[in-house]
Amino acid sequence: MAKVTKEQRKNTIISVALKLFSKNGFYMTTIPDIAQKVGMSVGNFYNYFSSKDILAKELVMYISEYLGEQIQEINKKDISSQEKIEEIVSMYFDMADEKPEMIEYFLRVYLSNREVFKEGCKGMICVSSFVTELMIFFDDGVESGDLFDQDFFSAFGLFMGYLGGMVFLFGEKILPEPLSSYQESISKNIYNALKSR
Amino acid sequence: MITKQLVDQIEGEASIYFDIKDEMVDFATISFPHFRGMESILKGKNALDALVITPRVCGICGHAHLMASVRAIENAYKNAGHKINLNQKIESIREFTLLMEMVQNHLKWIYLTIIPELQKLHPTDRNSKPLKGAFGASLAAKAIATFAGQWPHSSYMIPGGITCDPTNIDVLKAQSYLDELISFFEKESLGISIDDFLAFESCKDFEKMNSDISYLESELIKNDMTHKGHSYDRFIVLGEHSFTKVSKLNQTKAMGADVKYVSESEAYSPNEKTYAINALYKNNFYEAGPLSRCMALSMPIVKNMHRRYKDSAYSRVMARVFELAYLLKKSQSLLKKIDISQSSFVSPENIKNITAEGVGVVEAPRGPLIHKIRINEGIIQEYKIITPTQFNIGSSTQSNPTPAQKAMSGVSIQNALFIFRTFDVCSVCTTH
Amino acid sequence: MPSNQDKKPTLVWFQGLTCNGNTHSFLNHPNLEQLLSKFEIFHHPSLRSTKSFNDITSCEIPCDIFIFEGTYDPLMKRNGILLEKIVNHYAKNAKHIIAAGSCASFGGMFKASAPERNSGLIFNEESSFGPLLKHKEKVINLSGCPIHPEWLGYTLGMIVAKREIEVDELHRPIELYSNLAHHGCTRNEYFEWKVDASDFGEKEGCLYYKQGCRAPMTHASCNKILWNEVNSKTRVGTPCFGCTEPDFPRQNLFSTKTNMSIPVDVPLGISKRSYLTLTGIAKTFKIDRLEGKLIDYKTTR
Repeated sequence: MAKVTKEQRKNTIISVALKLFSKNGFYMTTIPDIAQKVGMSVGNFYNYFSSKDILAKELVMYISEYLGEQIQEINKKDISSQEKIEEIVSMYFDMADEKPEMIEYFLRVYLSNREVFKEGCKGMICVSSFVTELMIFFDDGVESGDLFDQDFFSAFGLFMGYLGGMVFLFGEKILPEPLSSYQESISKNIYNALKSR
Repeated sequence: MITKQLVDQIEGEASIYFDIKDEMVDFATISFPHFRGMESILKGKNALDALVITPRVCGICGHAHLMASVRAIENAYKNAGHKINLNQKIESIREFTLLMEMVQNHLKWIYLTIIPELQKLHPTDRNSKPLKGAFGASLAAKAIATFAGQWPHSSYMIPGGITCDPTNIDVLKAQSYLDELISFFEKESLGISIDDFLAFESCKDFEKMNSDISYLESELIKNDMTHKGHSYDRFIVLGEHSFTKVSKLNQTKAMGADVKYVSESEAYSPNEKTYAINALYKNNFYEAGPLSRCMALSMPIVKNMHRRYKDSAYSRVMARVFELAYLLKKSQSLLKKIDISQSSFVSPENIKNITAEGVGVVEAPRGPLIHKIRINEGIIQEYKIITPTQFNIGSSTQSNPTPAQKAMSGVSIQNALFIFRTFDVCSVCTTH
Repeated sequence: MPSNQDKKPTLVWFQGLTCNGNTHSFLNHPNLEQLLSKFEIFHHPSLRSTKSFNDITSCEIPCDIFIFEGTYDPLMKRNGILLEKIVNHYAKNAKHIIAAGSCASFGGMFKASAPERNSGLIFNEESSFGPLLKHKEKVINLSGCPIHPEWLGYTLGMIVAKREIEVDELHRPIELYSNLAHHGCTRNEYFEWKVDASDFGEKEGCLYYKQGCRAPMTHASCNKILWNEVNSKTRVGTPCFGCTEPDFPRQNLFSTKTNMSIPVDVPLGISKRSYLTLTGIAKTFKIDRLEGKLIDYKTTR
């Protein structure tokens, strides 16, 4: 059996921690829980992350970078802003479907336990990769004439608040249909709200 | 017989067509051949962009254009129901930099234009050191730059105030440039103190002096400029300022004046196309500039000169020298009025919400400068500029000549060319 | 007997469509007299010259250094002679040609007088175009509206010293134009920490975010070699208008163009992604010293 590298070990911890945090909440999840699930000693765990708070921050950055990379791929495509919106919505819902812990973590841990992230995760620092890519999306959209020039936060809130809300409803099992069946109408709504007038 | 003379080094060029009878100028027409279309360049632009574009009408009095623009836009705000109130700090700093530009203009004109031109009329072996004018002017420019960032082509006046936020360091620095300029002018130009100079009671007092300025004065007399270059003896001042008084004068009789009586007429220039347009007040030609401003102020020495020599070339030139001295003193008092704790800017309504017309009038070095703007939702629909040289020079018919045409008649061509320059001609402003 | 080499280089300063701003700006040079003493001035728009305007426009004498100020309008005449003839005559014989100011360099302000035909000497905005293309190796562009007196002083000094002047793609001396107008701005710390000026009329805050400042995108040494040896636009709260660049004058000069609050133009050579990332981070810090008026921040910590 090939020796597991430190990097792979770290990724395993991240993946396990995401699942536990999003399922049990930040305070109910302990480091021994995570170590046990990964199959390592608590002492060894601290070689990777020196505290639970630090792990929590790394997780946010991990998600933000993942989302940022996904959106960057879409941003680089030579397609219209409307098509980009469709792809971003589709990517986000697929993620909610396939890796629900990522979005759950974001909504239930990051947004719900702000005191944990007070130090070192102020404002948008820990989510900057993701926010930056959305800025690039908006900037390109206005520059190409597809989107209406408005305040960044008005547009950002509309886009991400909407998607976050839908995933929350999905997580609460309130939605009668699977997420993917809302994809088309939601994309259209977002585009209609943002398109140039 | 018609003789053409090209005049250069007047911020561009002009052609004068002299009709000579018995070796004297019977009549002259003037043409300004170059045109840049500033008014159409401004059309369709954001109204605030005028603050960057109009200073580029003229490299020597661009600051006056900036002030005319900002006044025109602020007047439009007022007419749109958003009156802008300027505090004393803003008013004093704007006025100070405007005066400093006037000072640099007058210094250059004395040393780079008038003294060398007099030496052409009557060569002497005196070294007139024209670069003295540039040096003095550069000190004035430093004083401007202290508040305005740079000179030429600053855009630091904006509707609602000024962009700078000076400290005491800046005010003291401006003060020291001004002090240096004053002592330079006293030592290198006057040979006496400004106070003594401004206290002159009559032209006889020049006899006590021995300096560039007394040389200038005596050369004007030697060339009989006290008896040449007379125009209408009517004067106009239209810009509201602390250093003069808005008025129109028939000889010494002063009355109030209003920019609304300014009109324009086509120039008459049968020999060559001209882009100049004449400016009139109540359909009459009036002389504009330092002589007019000093007369409006009733400056004792200038009134005394005028009593003896009327609006001769001598009075016109010497009024400018006295105005220069007076403005230097005035600038000192303006600096003392600056209270740095007052705000530099009060944010006005967004220009996008302004649909109105506005007029801005300032006294530029050569006289009234008028900017008229029509704004629709912040965008310039129409922009109109009337410059002082349009009042003074223009070109009209023999039966109704402009001030410069009238002043040039009855003398030799050489004298006429000199008299032409006593108006401090600005070609670029004339046609803009 | 003085040899040929002891003779002062001869200089003609000639104007096309202009406001004279470059002429007057140059007269502010701190060592004007000393600088001018190194040349024989055949013609200058306001200084006494050794040749008459008629001599100059008759195009018979050559000069060593030809300075051209103003936009080139092929239909313009000076003293009745087509500008084309005058410009070509002096360019052909001169060893050095200097475009003084943005009009002569790129068309500038007065390109708009007749946009279909007006240009600079060898550029129409950024494209290679103009009357002196065949002499372009000799042309040095000193863009700026107006020209900075010390930039011209440097160029003339280098010519007298027979030193080579290295130029950029737009024929501007690298030593003067490799700087950005941003370099040396007294507001740099506000730019670093992304603290924007709340409004005009304040010492504090950066003018790049709202007030339209082009300094981080503009090649110019205005904040290094100060104007009138005293100041610069940005130091007195006026945004840089980018007057040394080929696209001057742009529009809406007192506001920053943004797309959904994101600046359309970011500092030169930096990708927008990197810039936005850095901005997002810098903006999260609240630095008390940079929030209010500097003079009200009384503690030294």
